[in-house]
Amino acid sequence: MTTLTRQDLNFGQVVADILCEFLEVAIHLILYVREVYPSGIFQKRKKYNVPVQMSCHPELNQYIQDTLHCIKPLIEKNDAEKVVVVIMDKEHHPVERFVFEISQPPLLSISAETLLSHVEQLLRAFILKISVCDAVLNNNPPGCSFTVLVHTREAATRNMEKVQVIKDFPWIVADEQEVHMKEPRLIPLKSMTSDIVKMQLYVEERAQKT
Amino acid sequence: MDELYLDNIDEYVNDHNKIVTYKWLSLTLGVHVNTAKQMLYHYLEHKRKESSPQLHATYLVSGKSVDNGQTCHKVSVVREEQLEDFKSKMTLVVSIHVYSVQKALLRDSGPLYSVDYDAVKDNLKNCSRYSSIRCASAVPMSSVELRQAREKEQAPTSVPENKKPAVNGGASVASKPSAKAPKGIMGMLSFKSTSKNQDGSKDIKPEQKEVAPVTDPPKSKPAAKTNPMANFFGSQTKKADRPIKEEQEARTAVVSEQNQSSQQEEEPEPEPAAVQQKDTKTDSRSKTKRIEESDSEEEKMEKKKRRRIKRPEPDSSDEDVIPDSPQPLETKDPSPKKEVEAAQLSHGNSETKVRKRRRVLKSHVFLDDEGCMVTEKGYESESYSETEDDFQPSKQPRDNFKAKLPSSSKENEKKSQKRSSASSQKGTKQASITGFFQKK
Repeated sequence: MTTLTRQDLNFGQVVADILCEFLEVAIHLILYVREVYPSGIFQKRKKYNVPVQMSCHPELNQYIQDTLHCIKPLIEKNDAEKVVVVIMDKEHHPVERFVFEISQPPLLSISAETLLSHVEQLLRAFILKISVCDAVLNNNPPGCSFTVLVHTREAATRNMEKVQVIKDFPWIVADEQEVHMKEPRLIPLKSMTSDIVKMQLYVEERAQKT
Repeated sequence: MDELYLDNIDEYVNDHNKIVTYKWLSLTLGVHVNTAKQMLYHYLEHKRKESSPQLHATYLVSGKSVDNGQTCHKVSVVREEQLEDFKSKMTLVVSIHVYSVQKALLRDSGPLYSVDYDAVKDNLKNCSRYSSIRCASAVPMSSVELRQAREKEQAPTSVPENKKPAVNGGASVASKPSAKAPKGIMGMLSFKSTSKNQDGSKDIKPEQKEVAPVTDPPKSKPAAKTNPMANFFGSQTKKADRPIKEEQEARTAVVSEQNQSSQQEEEPEPEPAAVQQKDTKTDSRSKTKRIEESDSEEEKMEKKKRRRIKRPEPDSSDEDVIPDSPQPLETKDPSPKKEVEAAQLSHGNSETKVRKRRRVLKSHVFLDDEGCMVTEKGYESESYSETEDDFQPSKQPRDNFKAKLPSSSKENEKKSQKRSSASSQKGTKQASITGFFQKK
C-alpha cells in the first residue's frame, strides 16, 4: 500500500494525471450532450467503469489533448484555479460556460488504495451529472463552437509563455468578449471533496441564447 | 401504501435532477423491484395529470418478435415516444414496465447503466435482495467447498485441453485466474445446469449439435436457448473419457460426460464454461447485441447470468467469434471476410505459444479523392501469439464518416463547424451509434 505525501515528487503528477484524464472525458461529454458536434462522430467508450461518449475525430481529439497537456503543468503546481469550457455561438459570444473550479487542499499524506476508488466514484458522479445537465439548461443555437479557458492564480501564465509546452500550440490571453457573458444564470451541477482535490462544476448560461 | 413515496420520487427527479431507475429506487427505498416499478408508474400518472415540468420515461419491453423470419425473444429498453411503435412491431408482448423516470432527455443509454452501477456496487452482497429472480439452490459456497472444487478443477483440466486446440484457445482457458465473486453465481448456474442435465441427457446431445455449429442463427427461442446454454454452463473440461474428434463432437462429449459424472458436483470454475459457452451463445447474443444496436439494457435484463458470461469474453480469443459475422451483418456493409479457421486447426495441439491469425478491428484514417478525411474501421487479419495479453474485443460497427478539414490550420479557434456531411453520412451508415433508442 503506497502512501504519498505532498513532498513526494509524484504527488502533484498523480493528481494532475487524474484530473486531466477526467477533464478530457468531461470535455468530450460536454461536446456530446450540448450537441456542439453531430453525435455521429462520437462512440461509446468506457471510463471509470461506465460508458461515456468520446469523439473519433482525430483533429478534435488532438486539440483537446494538446489543450490538456498544456494545462497539466499548471495543475501540478496548483496554479490552475478554474478550467472553463466555453460554448460560443456563431458570433463568438459565449452562450454557456462550464466551469470546473479546482483546488488542491493542503494535505499531509494519503493512502492510494481507498483513495482512488473513492475518487473514481466521485468522478463517476460528475460524469453522470453532465449527462443529464440538459434538463436544466436551455438549448443552444445551432452552429456553436467551443474553446477552453484557464484561469490561473497569480502570474503563472508568464511562466508558461517562457516555457512553451507544445511548440505549435500557443496560448493567448483571452479576450474580454470571451470571458464576459451577458446576464449569466448560474446553475450548480456538482461538487466534490476528496483528499487530493476539491472540485466544483457549475454552468453559467446566458439568459437569452438566440 | 402510503403516498410518501410520491414525494420521495418527486424530490429525486425534480430537485436532484436524478435519473430514477426502478432498480435504484428499490435499493434506495428498500422495496421489492415490482413495488418500485409500480411506484414509478403511479408517479408518472400522477405527474402527467398535473401539468408539471416535462418528464421523460423509459420502458422495458419484452416479448416475441419476428426478425428476418426468425422468432426471437427480445428484451429492450425504449423511450416513451417509441413505445407504441415498438409494441406494434412485436408479435407478442410479454411484459412492459417503467424502467426509469428522469427530467433530462437522454441521448443514449450510458447514464442508465451508470445510475445503477453505484447502487449495485454498494449493495453487492445482496443486490438481489429485492429482486424476483430466484433460485433456491443458489447459495454461495463456503470456503472449504471452494477450495475442494478448485483442487478438483486443476487436476483434470490439463488433460482435455490438449484435445481441444482451436475451439476455445485452450491455453487461455487454463490460465484464467478464478475469481471468487463469480463463483457463487456460477455455482448457482451449474446447479441449474446439472438439474437440467438430469432431464434429457440424450436429448441434449442432438441439441448440442444443432447449437454448436458456428452458423447458428443469432437468436433462438427461449426454450431452445436455455437448454444448450445450461449445458454450456455445466460443461467442464474434465474427465474426457471419449476421444474427441472435432470441435463439435468435443463439446458434446464434454457435456455428456458431465451428465454421466456426478450430477450434484459443484462446478466453480466459470471461465472454461463461459468460454465454451461464449463460442456459440454469447457469440450469437453479442452479435445480436450488435445487430440490435441496443445497448446494455437488453443484456442487463438477463441479469447476473449474462453479466458473468460477458466478462470473460474480451479476454478470451476471438477467432471463434468472428466467423459468425457474415450472418448477422445484414444491416451492415459488405461483411468482413471469413476467418481462416483452417489455419488455426492446422496449428496443431500445442497448448501455448501458438501463433494464430485473428481478425482485429483496425481503423484507418486517410484522405480520399475529395480531400476529405475518412476514418474506416475494418477487420484485418493479424497474426498473434496466444501468450499475448492484449486481446482486442472485436467490434462490429463499421463507421465511415467524413470530416471536412478546417480551412484554417491549427490555432486555438481551429474547431470550425463540422458540416452536415457528417450527419448525412450518419444517416446512411451510422446506424450503430444512435442505435440505442431506435426500434431495432
